[in-house]
Order: sequence, then structure tokens, then C-alpha cells
Amino acid sequence: MFYRHLRNELWKLFGKKRTYIGFGAFLLAQNGMLLTFHYTHWQTQMETMLEGNGYLAQEYVSALTVALLMLIPQILLLMPLYAALVGGDLVAKEVEDGTLRMILSRPISRFRLLFVKWVAGGIFSAALVLVLGVTALGFARMWFPWKGMFVFVPGQVFNVLGAGEGFKLYLCSHLFMTLNASVVLGIAFMFSCFNMKPAAATILALSLLFVNLVMEGIPFFERYHEYLLTYHFRCWHNVYVQPIPWSQIGQSVSVLLAFNLTTFLIGTAAFQARDIKS
Amino acid sequence: MIQLKHLNKKFGQRLAVDDLTLQVPAGEIYGLLGHNGAGKSTAIGMMLGQVWPTSGDVNICGHDVTAHRRLALQKVGAIFESPAFYDYLSGRRNLEILSSYTAPTSKRRIQEVIEWVGLSGREYSKVRTYSHGMRARLALAQALLPQPELLILDEPSDGLDPEGIHEMRLTIQRLHRELRLTILLSSHFLVEVEQLCTRIAVLNRGRMVFEGTLAATKQGAWTRLKTGDFALAVKQLRESQLITQERDGHLVALCPGIGTDQVVRLLVERGMPVYEIAPVEDTLEDFYLSLMNGQKQGE
Repeated sequence: MFYRHLRNELWKLFGKKRTYIGFGAFLLAQNGMLLTFHYTHWQTQMETMLEGNGYLAQEYVSALTVALLMLIPQILLLMPLYAALVGGDLVAKEVEDGTLRMILSRPISRFRLLFVKWVAGGIFSAALVLVLGVTALGFARMWFPWKGMFVFVPGQVFNVLGAGEGFKLYLCSHLFMTLNASVVLGIAFMFSCFNMKPAAATILALSLLFVNLVMEGIPFFERYHEYLLTYHFRCWHNVYVQPIPWSQIGQSVSVLLAFNLTTFLIGTAAFQARDIKS
Repeated sequence: MIQLKHLNKKFGQRLAVDDLTLQVPAGEIYGLLGHNGAGKSTAIGMMLGQVWPTSGDVNICGHDVTAHRRLALQKVGAIFESPAFYDYLSGRRNLEILSSYTAPTSKRRIQEVIEWVGLSGREYSKVRTYSHGMRARLALAQALLPQPELLILDEPSDGLDPEGIHEMRLTIQRLHRELRLTILLSSHFLVEVEQLCTRIAVLNRGRMVFEGTLAATKQGAWTRLKTGDFALAVKQLRESQLITQERDGHLVALCPGIGTDQVVRLLVERGMPVYEIAPVEDTLEDFYLSLMNGQKQGE
């Protein structure tokens, strides 16, 4: 029955055009960035940086390098937006449309219904990140050769890697990006379990992330970084640091998993107590 | 089949359902009447475990809905006003999704129900292309899929055109006749209730103000009287304490225990011709309106 219910949720999720608008926006943004990288000074600046550090630029301006370059702003901006949009819809849109009332006239428990929706949200997060990663690499490969990987995140990572190792880390970092996406989706999901419109749930989730981001940028909060969600979201960058700081990554993953579970439980408790009326 | 005991529901300070006690026996078509905001939908919400009662008990098919929702709703189908579906999916996919929340349903059973409600040939079309009538049939199909014993219909004819309303009425009769379902029907259409229901309950501001058979609502308090001078006849009858009220120039309300023979005797004795005297059978509308007016005057 769980599989059947999960399949229902996936039908609902992937049957909507809105779901694919998100994917479409990513593809456009990726191509826009790719063209900008290729036809502006961006590529030249990167080559200069590499050569200034004693590396052969032509060995590292590759599909993997450019794919990662394209992913960074998208993971920071677009991914939270679409994850929050879908998360905000998961419950609140069904309440707004009246379909939830139809479901809840059937002998299914509210907890089970929400759990299935939450798992479906997790699958959507994975699909979103997978498509992002594959298309970024695919488009980059059309323009750039398969060579070594150069990773530069100001203040965090400066590293060069062989193509094989770079690809492995690229895959590994996607696992953590999936976790990030599911956390964002989980926050919007939690809000959508309360009595509010889907857009309100999405906006509240994004606002929460924005407040985290702003606080992280204020020097006063530097000593409290560990308490801010956006700090832990960056754990996927750390995969490219040599040696990989697994303990720090582990700490961030634990915080994110715990946060995800907490938002689910808060959402479930709120939904359980609610009256569902037309 | 449905048993509500001292059911109360408060939304903040507002009492939406006030001490509602109700019993719907198996095999009935039971009407639930009341104005907008009378508490009908809230009561139905509590029967389906969608609205939590503030106090009181709700038993459906012998099980407490609050404590054993799964068991209580296993054999229940429901249709709401303006039924909502996943418009971007086909009718059939909608049925597959909704039925799976009760129990796994075979493709054969789904096809059977699609044929029963008359949606064959359109089941693979997206629901957004359906007319109001087709959506109503789809709503009926989803309610019938779990092979229910109890059907709860909350304003099922809302938004339908006159043909659709007629078709819905025939379908409800057919469901009762062929599938022997117990049906709880909440409706604003008094004619529909009059034609379908055997028993009704009337809610007003959350309180039940009447519960009984439809026949009981037809026992009118008025008697039609045609005489030479109605005003004079009324005066004489009032003086003799045979009637309490009169209206519309031809209706009188007899005092308790007074029969039409006594009225006729008095009028004839006083030299007034009586052309016609007969008890008037109230329509449900008359009954409902007089009940509501009585409630207003009592406040």
C-alpha cells in the first residue's frame, strides 16, 4: 500500500506542468551561464587565475570545471526557489483545490498521507538535483573537453583534481545537494501543513532561508554559524577540499537531517490538529 | 449506520454544532437540511473524521470515527459540493488514485464503475475537459469504488443544470434501489429532499430543530375553508375558540382537538354556506419555512 500511495503522489507531482517549468528554467539558466562564460572575460579570468597559481589553464578549463561553476549560483538561488515552490504546494495546494477533502473522506491516516507526501518530496529533490547535475555536465561537455577539474569557491575551496577524481567528487557533492534541496522542500512542506495558502508557505520558507543567509553575513553572528542553516548547506563545497573534512561534513549532514525530521514532525503535528473544511 | 451523540463543535468562540444527537438507520435515505452555516457540512466533516469534535461521539458503521477512523470509513463513500479532482490527470487516473486510499482496487472494478456511472469512452480524457455533469459522475464513481454501504452526499446537485439535477436524483434513487445503500443527503434543494428522503433532520445555527419522517412534515396545521364570507366565518370561529389563526383568505388553523365537523356544524348553524373544507398537506418548503420562522420568532 505504501508503494501504491507513493506512486500516487509521484503521479500528482510529475503530472503537473508547473513541476517541469522549474526544470525548464534550470536548463535556460544553465545555457545562459554557459554562453556568458564562453563569450565574456569570465573564461579568461579563470585561465589567468589558474596560470597565476602555476597550473596549465587548458588542462583545467573543462566540462567538469564549468559544470560546477554553473551549479554554484543555481544551487544557491534557483534550487531553493523551486524546492520551496513544490514543498509549499504539497499539502496547501491540495487543501486549496479541495482534493485533500476527497482523500480524507477515505480511511487513510493523516500521518500516513503526510509521510508519503514527504517521501515524494524527497524523491522530487533527488530528481531535481540529478537533472541539474546531469544537464550542467552535459551542456558543459558540448562546449568543453573532458579534462581535469578546477574548483574555486572564494574563501572556502581552491583545488585542482584529475578528471576521474573530480567526477567522483562531483557525484558525491550531488548527494549533499539533494539533502539541501530536501531540507528546503521540508521547510515549505511544514508551513504548507498549517492553515495557509501555498504561496504563503513558499514565501515563508524562502524568508527563513533568507534570514539565515543575512545573519550569516553579519560579523556578529560569526560565532553562531553552526546554528544557521545556510552554513550547513555549504557542506557540499567541502567535498572538494583536500583533505576532505569528513567530520565537518558529518556534523552538517546530521544537523540537516535532524532539521528535516523536525520540520516534518512539526508539520505533521499541525496538520493532525487541523480541521479540514471546504 | 450513523450515530451522533451530543456532538458539539466550536470554531473559536462560535458554536458551529450544538449538542447534535442523530441516528440514521441502515437502508434509509436521510435528509439533512438547514441554511448556509447551519452546521451541516461541519457535521458531515465530523462524520468523516475531517473535523475534530469539541465533544460528543460519532459512530459510523459501528465504529468510533475519532478513535478508529480506518475501520469506520472502510465502507463509506462521499461526494461533496463542487467535487475537486486532479484536473491535469485523466478521469481513470483520478479514480485509481482516490480508490487506493481505501484499498487496492482491481482494473476490472474500476471499469465496472466507470460503466455504471456512464463515463465509458471518456475515462482517459483529462478531467479539465469534463463538463459539470461528467465531474458529478466521476465524483459518484470515486464514491462507489470502495463498494460502500453508506454514501454521504454533501450538496451533490450544487452547480448542476436542471438536467444534471434530475439525473443526480435518478441516480440516487437507483443507488438506493439497486445497491441498497444507506444515504445521507445534505441539500438545499427541498424538492429533491422531498422526492428522495424518507426521514429528515433540520439544523438551525448548529442545533437540530426537527427530526422525523417526511410524512410528519406533511401533516399541515392548516385547513382550507371555502365559505360565503371568509372574514365573518373566521370571526365566528375565533369567538367559538375553534381556530387559532387564519391566512391567505382561505386557510385556518384549528385549535388542538377540534375537528372539521365541528367547524362545519357551527358555520351551518349560523347560516353560512360551506363549499369546501379539507386539511392542507404542507410541502416540505412550507414546513421548512414555518419551522425557520418559528425559530426566528422564538429568539
